[in-house]
Amino acid sequence: MRHPPVLRYLGTHKAFGKPVLKGVDLDIQEGEMFAIFGPSGTGKSVLLKSTIGLVVPDRGDVEVRGDSVFFGGRSALLAARRRARYVFQHSALFDSLNVYENVETGVPPEQLARLSRGEAASAIWRALELVNLDPPQVMPLLPGELSGGMKKRVGIARAIVGRPSILLWDEPTTGLDPVNTAAVERLIKRLSRELRVTSVLATHDVEGALWMCDRVGMLEGGTLRFLGTPDDFRSSADPVVRAFVDRAAAEAALDEVEMQ
Amino acid sequence: MTGDSLLERPIRAIGRGWMAGAEHAGQMGLLLWGTVTTTARLRIPLRVFANQLYVMGVQSIPIVVVTSILSGIVTSQQGGYQITATVPLYVLGSVTAKSIALELAPVLTAIVLVGRVGARITAELGTMVVSEQMDAYRSLGRDPLIVLGAPRILAGLVVMPLLVGIANIVGLISGMVCAQIALGLNFETFLFGARLFWYSWDLFYSLLKSLAFGFAIPLISIHMGLRAGGGAEGVGRITTASVMFQTLTIFTLDAMFPALFLD
Repeated sequence: MRHPPVLRYLGTHKAFGKPVLKGVDLDIQEGEMFAIFGPSGTGKSVLLKSTIGLVVPDRGDVEVRGDSVFFGGRSALLAARRRARYVFQHSALFDSLNVYENVETGVPPEQLARLSRGEAASAIWRALELVNLDPPQVMPLLPGELSGGMKKRVGIARAIVGRPSILLWDEPTTGLDPVNTAAVERLIKRLSRELRVTSVLATHDVEGALWMCDRVGMLEGGTLRFLGTPDDFRSSADPVVRAFVDRAAAEAALDEVEMQ
Repeated sequence: MTGDSLLERPIRAIGRGWMAGAEHAGQMGLLLWGTVTTTARLRIPLRVFANQLYVMGVQSIPIVVVTSILSGIVTSQQGGYQITATVPLYVLGSVTAKSIALELAPVLTAIVLVGRVGARITAELGTMVVSEQMDAYRSLGRDPLIVLGAPRILAGLVVMPLLVGIANIVGLISGMVCAQIALGLNFETFLFGARLFWYSWDLFYSLLKSLAFGFAIPLISIHMGLRAGGGAEGVGRITTASVMFQTLTIFTLDAMFPALFLD
């Protein structure tokens, strides 16, 4: 029996002067790892941000576990933000807070109020260990004292510390060297399995996403051009999809654009 | 066609101006409402509030003291220059005390705080907007207004009267010392003059002004910071606009005060 989707994008439209999303319909199932590809500026991050109301669509809606994010009132919006946590492209750590305090902000306030100081500290410790950071070493550091890879990990720890059921990853490997990229991809896959969360990734890293995800989609011209499994994506005959899969097809597509 | 566009252009410009004004007013109204409700529910993050008291208040004391000393010296000297043989010199005490309490202490302290605190708040919050830290607060179910906005506005309301109080005392003392050195007016005569035309309302008026400025500076700087966009250049642009907006507001409020409270 098929369960109701965890996330539903219902005719999501958004324009910033010109249209970015032109009615995206998409269902994401419980426990699924889903990646959205697409050229820069096609609205991957906009779609991801609309999931928890950081971007408000001009038309359409998003449902998180059956609750409308935009028509369900403030409580539904806050519930969506508790259930789904966002990992920002550039980490978005709070500059004035140290690593411990940054991760602490990821614990929902009502949960934090119930925890003793020791319990909160051990939850933060566990989250840092899960992202392969050494808690005693990093906890007192400010974001300015961390490397790019460490910032990403702290951002991930902040997202997972509140035990969300959905993780939204915005370009998680952008700006990282190949070794760190592979490490973060492994981490994403491991966390998604260990924490049994539903993951949605917006990424340019096609190979990594095809390795990690159960299903992928491709945004182009404001709509979903492709939706299927990684195998379907690799074997697709669509030239736009092909251009994402291999370099030769990308060069051919570029030549065609230049000819026009 | 040309006639139409010539006619349309100023109307559009007026419309745009009204829209922008309404947008600013609406956003600041929401910011104010958020601060009031946050304070009423006792949800002010005390650590941030204490930090703002230190940054806005304690760290501003040296520059406020220096400004007050200089303004006291200038008022005393220029007052002495204007007083002729027909006016007794002790009037200088009154001129200096009144000028400092009614105008110079609140306005100069406010201008100092615009540069030192207002610009800093706008740049800080603007950077947080463009680096997605504001989105991060929202994504974590926290209202940045509670965490960042309300403590700054409340801190402004607390520190500004205290700083103006310091500016009043320091300005008066420096004016008095300067009057003795430059004009030979002894302290007793200076203070006699100062007391002769002094009303306790003057001090209240000075503190009332400081409250208005202490409220306006953080409110505008937060509001402008939250409107930042477009990377580092955008933050620079909005900080400049914020300083201009705050300075104009200080002078506008200052111009409204005599009509409202001195009649």
